[in-house]
Amino acid sequence: MAEAQTKAQPSPKQYVQIAVLLAILTAVEVALYYIEQAGVSGRIVYPTLIILAILKFIIVVAFYMHIRYEKGIIARFFTVGFFGALMLYTVVLGTFGVLTAMSG
Amino acid sequence: MSDVAHEEHVHESTGVETRKLAMWVFLSSEFMFFGALITNYLLFKGRVGYTAPYPAEIFDIPFTSVSSFVLLMSSLTMVLADHAIHRDDQRSTRTWLIATALLGMVFLAGQAFEFTTFVVDEGMKISTNPAASAFFTLTGFHGTHVLVGVIMLLTLIGISFRKGRLSTATGLNLENVALYWHFVDIIWIVIFTVVYLIK
Repeated sequence: MAEAQTKAQPSPKQYVQIAVLLAILTAVEVALYYIEQAGVSGRIVYPTLIILAILKFIIVVAFYMHIRYEKGIIARFFTVGFFGALMLYTVVLGTFGVLTAMSG
Repeated sequence: MSDVAHEEHVHESTGVETRKLAMWVFLSSEFMFFGALITNYLLFKGRVGYTAPYPAEIFDIPFTSVSSFVLLMSSLTMVLADHAIHRDDQRSTRTWLIATALLGMVFLAGQAFEFTTFVVDEGMKISTNPAASAFFTLTGFHGTHVLVGVIMLLTLIGISFRKGRLSTATGLNLENVALYWHFVDIIWIVIFTVVYLIK
């Protein structure tokens, strides 16, 4: 089982390339923070920051945690926990008006 | 002994090693835990009228960016250790584990420095205002998770030196420690964006 997974997984060189991509995305995030500081509207910057964070999140889970190479049962457990928490806390934030305040 | 243990895993009804499945279920439940803490911060960060300073006023973004970079790179060294153990390259495994533990310790040192700066220099304690309380609780629990990860890494390194090799079949499993470590990283990805970068 472990051997079959190892064959499908990325090589060390590809892991380094993924890390470089993650570093670049982080640098873009920090740059966006300063762009917003310079006066660009948060309505443009904040959604972009969230998209970049989601992208980094997916990259780490897919390639470093190997979820795309695992059996479906693992992905199901993980996504149920993630989306369950996401839905619950979105409702909480919406109830208390935080999402409305953040969207301006 | 290890062969017997490995055989048992292959015949588990789910088709996935139980320890590994348990780790994924645990990590899945951790979303609820950190979700609560992040939500708590978002609820309180806008509450004004309390004693200043508020966390968002005193964040040191360049410093935290470097910390984030360090934690991201520790995920790279961790996945390289995981890759090495599957090739039974014990020397590389040990090297990458040591690198990961060191990067984790650098991150923790950075967090200790940040907390000290906030409390001593800026005068923002956990009781100063609700936002500070939520901030210290969230980042403190994340730091505790990193600390637990570092302890597990040091344990693996110790086992590696004592027994001369690590096994994926028995004992503290490197693959599960790697999953935990990457999870701590993805939680920081969310915290860095939601808490530090978005006002």
